[in-house]
Amino acid sequence: MNGYLRVGLILTGFLAALILLGMFWTPYDPQAMSVGPKLAPPSLQHLMGTDKFGRDIFSRVLQGAGTTSIIALSTVAIGAVCGTAVGALTGYFGGLADEILMRLNDALTAFPSILLALVVISILGPGKKRNVILALGLVFIPSFARITRTAFASLRDANYVKSARLMGASPARILLVHILPNTVSVLLPAVTIGFNNAVLAEASMSFLCIGVTPPDASLGYMLSEAQGMLNAPWYVIGTGLMIVLMVFGVGLIGEGLQRRDKGVA
Amino acid sequence: MKYAAKRLLMLLVTMVIVSFLAFLAFDLISGDPATAMLGTQATPESVAALREELGLNRPFLVRYGEWLLGFFTGNLGTSYNYKQPVWDLIGTKVMVTLCLSVLSFLLITMVSIPLGLWSARRAGGRLDGVRTAVNQLCMAVPPFFTGILLSWVFGVMLHWFVPGSFPGLEHFGSALKYLFFAAVAIAIPRIAMTVRMLRSTIMSEMQKDYVRTAISRGNDRGEVLRRHVLKNALVPVVTFLAQTMAEIVAGSIVVEQVFAIPGLGRMLVTSISNRDYPTVQAIVVILAFWVVLAGTVADIVNQCIDPRLRLGGDA
Repeated sequence: MNGYLRVGLILTGFLAALILLGMFWTPYDPQAMSVGPKLAPPSLQHLMGTDKFGRDIFSRVLQGAGTTSIIALSTVAIGAVCGTAVGALTGYFGGLADEILMRLNDALTAFPSILLALVVISILGPGKKRNVILALGLVFIPSFARITRTAFASLRDANYVKSARLMGASPARILLVHILPNTVSVLLPAVTIGFNNAVLAEASMSFLCIGVTPPDASLGYMLSEAQGMLNAPWYVIGTGLMIVLMVFGVGLIGEGLQRRDKGVA
Repeated sequence: MKYAAKRLLMLLVTMVIVSFLAFLAFDLISGDPATAMLGTQATPESVAALREELGLNRPFLVRYGEWLLGFFTGNLGTSYNYKQPVWDLIGTKVMVTLCLSVLSFLLITMVSIPLGLWSARRAGGRLDGVRTAVNQLCMAVPPFFTGILLSWVFGVMLHWFVPGSFPGLEHFGSALKYLFFAAVAIAIPRIAMTVRMLRSTIMSEMQKDYVRTAISRGNDRGEVLRRHVLKNALVPVVTFLAQTMAEIVAGSIVVEQVFAIPGLGRMLVTSISNRDYPTVQAIVVILAFWVVLAGTVADIVNQCIDPRLRLGGDA
């Protein structure tokens, strides 16, 4: 456990607890107007102040962070599961399918994920939560496939895999029971990076109003709303800081994991 | 030279594939543009007539061929939404986005290379952990957040520019000033990533024998870093900068929205919301071309830097 990992876990744990709490209870109703004075600066009653409709910003940020995290987690889940499956099969078996898929992969990973996601979302139809998750999930498959492919290909001829094969273990068993646990050290940092990319991509898309749209408030959409209320700068700062802290915390965890595996402090 | 020619040919082939996929993807969309243009009350006859007029009834490959030919002759089709040739709509916008991208790219390279060298030299020092944490923090800042803060501080409070009113490229000086703030917003997280990448590349290069020899012969450490190590660390950096070029385009899509810059990204977003597929298609292919071109240029530059690459791969 190094410093990065410790600080990252504490920060992320704190935020996760806050966001989980926000899914069941917020200080005020996030949608209700006039729960306090309009455009009030941060105070003890309203930790992040209120917007021009008198809505409590802290409650809104909690709710928005919840939406954003759920989307990011689902996205990473789709990307990691499908990507690992593709990477495992192509890495372990190789052959023509591997060649073709990896060339395709090279081409796809050269493109910025947000650009690909925009193309997919324009095909699926903008403005729906399900479509955002699907678009981003699809976009994250290639990068996970590439990382796991390398890991599976390098372990394909390891001695313990060979002996498992000699003992008559089925390919499915070898892949899931023998190799998969040994790829965790590459998979975990990839998941943290994927989560961060997903948070930023979702926030960007919702900021552009083609991601999640109300009533599902996400942090990105709130920032675009906040940009129109610069006379209440605490709205921008509160919402933006939430994104920064979420990504920063998970980023530190990723950094810590990578350093732990490399054996440097 | 032969390598460059081969690489350019590959670029052309990639572009044809990408444009084919883009065309196919937008062709498969369930929504019928004729219905979308006429509304739900349209009679089946008028929809059929419009489909005929837009040429949607002809075979897929014929339409693709025509579109591709049009693309190279500057005819990008007609926007469903504005009923105007797409090129008329996006011509000036391409220039705006190009200016913004080049500005961001210059900013990123000029700041990140010295900063990366500096941070590699100080690696393992007392404040190394703090520097890494600051780096992670900068990577966590989304460009649209910085963009809003910059336009609030420098626009609303200090009146250095007027947020939301882009002067237009004909006033080049003030346009550049306006774009500079947008470029800063795009650059911050990318600078952090480049510094991080440069730092780890240089540090692994520093452990090689030739560096130890150079230092043991009494050369100055900084000089060794600049003269020997940087040269050898350049190949992955150039590849990374090409990736950066692609990411800048993605960043500009969002930042153009923040600063209300009339560029390609903003047009793309509006066209997606309006389901204006010919425009979306044209912009996507242009942006894809940009990405693939950056990769090609990086490969050619790398091959000039390191002639060993010529013997390496078969490309």
